[in-house]
Amino acid sequence: MKTILFLLLSFPFLGGFILAVIGRYLPRRVAEWIACASVLASLLMAALAFGSAGEKRYLLTLFDWIQVGDFSASMTVYYDRIAAIMALMVTFVSSLIHLYSVSFMRDDRDYVRYFCYMNLFVFSMLVITLADNLVFLYLGWEGVGFCSYILIGFWYSDVVNATAGRKAFILTRIGDVAFGIAIVLFFLILDQLSIFSINSKVASLSAGTATLLALLLFWGAVGKSAQLPLVVWLPDAMAGPTPVSALIHAATMVTAGAYLLMRLFPVIALSSIAMVTIATVAAFTGLFAALAALGQKDIKRVLAYSTISQVSYMFLAVGAGDVTGGMYHLFSHAFFKALLFLGAGCVIQALHEEHDIFKMGNLRNRLPAVFWLYLVGSISLAAIPPFGGFFSKDRILLSTFSHPEPIYKFLALIAEIGAVITVLYTFRMFFVAFLEKPSAGEDLAKKDLKIPKFMVWINSPLALLAIFAASLNFPEAFGGKAWLAHYLASIPGGIPLFPASTPIERSMEIGSGLLNIAVLIAAYFVYRPEARFLGWPTPLVFRQRLEELLSSGFYLDRLYQVALVKPYQAMARTLWLKVDEAVVDDQFDATANIFRFFSFGLQLWTTGRLSTYLKMLLLGFTAIVSALALGWYYLR
Amino acid sequence: MTLYAVIFYVLAVVILASTLLAIIQRQVIHAVVYLIVSFFATGLLFYLLGAPFLAALEVIIYAGAIMVLFLFIVMTVRAESGEDKGEIYHWLPAVVLAIISFFVGGVLIFKIPGSKMSLNTGMASPATFGQFLFKNYWFPVEIASFLLLIGLVGALYLGRQESKKESEDRR
Amino acid sequence: MIVPYGDVLLLAIILFLLGAVCSISRRNLLMILIGVEIMLNAAGLAFVAASLKWSLLDGQAFVLFIFAAAASEVAVGLALIVYSQRRTGSLNADRYDSMKG
Repeated sequence: MKTILFLLLSFPFLGGFILAVIGRYLPRRVAEWIACASVLASLLMAALAFGSAGEKRYLLTLFDWIQVGDFSASMTVYYDRIAAIMALMVTFVSSLIHLYSVSFMRDDRDYVRYFCYMNLFVFSMLVITLADNLVFLYLGWEGVGFCSYILIGFWYSDVVNATAGRKAFILTRIGDVAFGIAIVLFFLILDQLSIFSINSKVASLSAGTATLLALLLFWGAVGKSAQLPLVVWLPDAMAGPTPVSALIHAATMVTAGAYLLMRLFPVIALSSIAMVTIATVAAFTGLFAALAALGQKDIKRVLAYSTISQVSYMFLAVGAGDVTGGMYHLFSHAFFKALLFLGAGCVIQALHEEHDIFKMGNLRNRLPAVFWLYLVGSISLAAIPPFGGFFSKDRILLSTFSHPEPIYKFLALIAEIGAVITVLYTFRMFFVAFLEKPSAGEDLAKKDLKIPKFMVWINSPLALLAIFAASLNFPEAFGGKAWLAHYLASIPGGIPLFPASTPIERSMEIGSGLLNIAVLIAAYFVYRPEARFLGWPTPLVFRQRLEELLSSGFYLDRLYQVALVKPYQAMARTLWLKVDEAVVDDQFDATANIFRFFSFGLQLWTTGRLSTYLKMLLLGFTAIVSALALGWYYLR
Repeated sequence: MTLYAVIFYVLAVVILASTLLAIIQRQVIHAVVYLIVSFFATGLLFYLLGAPFLAALEVIIYAGAIMVLFLFIVMTVRAESGEDKGEIYHWLPAVVLAIISFFVGGVLIFKIPGSKMSLNTGMASPATFGQFLFKNYWFPVEIASFLLLIGLVGALYLGRQESKKESEDRR
Repeated sequence: MIVPYGDVLLLAIILFLLGAVCSISRRNLLMILIGVEIMLNAAGLAFVAASLKWSLLDGQAFVLFIFAAAASEVAVGLALIVYSQRRTGSLNADRYDSMKG
């Protein structure tokens, strides 16, 4: 088992390392093979581990890393059930996306850099998934942040991309500070850095300490998963290549925040303040992101805001005490969101890098396979039964609603509104981009770029999973076998803290299902190509301002710019001009000038004239004799 | 005040006066001649202080050879007369430094033990002196002769007439 | 009994400083050399006085060596002066300032 897990982690790392060192000298196909093979091998190892683990949990040390006095951080993995399925999902989706990338990046010359960092990213994500020691986890945490930065700014020759990468890194860093503090506090308070031991010792924490720790961890997760207020980096991160967006910003990195909270769930569950905070922030983020997605024109930005919204559901699940629900949604979201992103990638490439949905259209004829795949993804995202997205989202709504505290009912309402708007924006995107436009149909098809069939068909496993993800955890209220719930029953939080009673469950599910279908039909009438307008009939001015509000994400970017960035820049400028140049530099200059003055004075002595030198001789003689006399006089 | 003391002070005045006059002179020849007087008096002083051999040597070598050499050179070399007008800034620093050193030196001298003691008379006959010299300091004597040889050769070389080839080489 | 030892030394010092002043403040190369001679003479005087005070002949021996050195030094120095005068045409020390700066 130890070997399997060790290989699981090493394969992507080795892949990345080899590509980094000699990738440039290898033929293109070989480099691509190495990248894909390492992730596929990882997948194989994850499957093997999953198969052979069964009921057992493993706590294995792979490598003794840091050993300083009393403190030791070793590369330990805690392989329990939640880690097992997470590792399987991560490796599976990563493999598919690597294979997709081979044809997506077929024309790009920097493929070595790309695959190297993708491999390193997979390694870091697997570290987060499996790690037991918090310092080891932090290594993976930072690793994904770093690889995300590099991959977002992959086409760095365009300044916009590089800036987006920097923005992502800085914002996630703000969260990472809190996570780092939490690690230190864990060590100080519990003397433990192992997730397993922390979870066992959780009873010794007071409620106040647990609240502090939980909130710090939550802040770290907020940064990494792009929740309010550290949300503004994710829409801009769409500047990276589409497979990067699919892997990092849909399936894996953004879910790492929720995953961390699920791993340390016992600590969080101890503090009801933290749970309420998490749930509130999550619910409002979901609503915020859904509304913002309604106003976006760029297809990837719609998907980005959609990701923010869906990840907030996972956080809401944690806040309501339902880890299984969170993991369920994490899985189904990974599948359909990756599918949507990869489909969008196909569309963008085929239409010559066109991102604006209002400029697309009639894709049913131009890209028929992508049309159907995208439809599957959209239905799943909009939580239309019977696809997987419906059951996972509904389970979360249910858990939130059944929580005894009254505020949770309010949050469940907010989340439900968010779900309704999800249907709206999803199908706005789909209808506007994919359905036929009444005018200018056929000539567009001729100008399309021919994309490789492989790129399109590699998405089919994801589509199948999106459709059948429902079976992972079909609610028992309807007679299904809740397999995932049973599987995760043994981990803390696996059984929801407040399970809903069956009648409520049934009525809620049927009710929300019907509601979603109704909204879907309404969306069709609003957004079909013939009747294209954003919303309700309002005067033009007001509508334009509303559009601006939504498309800029409620001006959050502007707010940060004015409140944080500009003052910081002003301060930096002042420090530069007033302090660094005026004070520090001038002091150095003054010191240097003193020396110049002295040497100028000394220069007067080098006249080259004999008399001057003789004068100096006599001066020296006088000085020596005087010194002698003084010495003699005072010594006597 | 013994006779010897009187002689000493008279000689001291002569030496100082002639040296002072020597260094003030505008013409080099005048300075040299004053200096010859000074060296004569110094030689007498040496005799008073019990070194007759050195007195003779002083007159022969210093006054007789060195100063005469100076005279030769002065007469050979055409020195332009407009040397310097004796501006104050030329000699003021030197005089100031000299006065300072004089006071300091004076302090030093009158602090050492035995400076108030009068010197006894004595006379070192040349024979005694020669024996002493060659017994204890024969090696420096050899070196001194070597030194004189070097001086001789150097002076010869520097004073030669340059052949036409050498002056062309230099250009 | 001649004079106090300190008086002779005082005389020597005054002579020495006179020579130093001459050496420094005169521009003519010959006068500089003359100043050097005066200084050497003063030193010799001091040695003789010391030799008499301690009744040792070493001081007188040293004066002999001073004479020898002075003689050869004057010879070479004067030869140098003649040579320089031939080369640059001037005996003014201020003209020899190519080592300036």
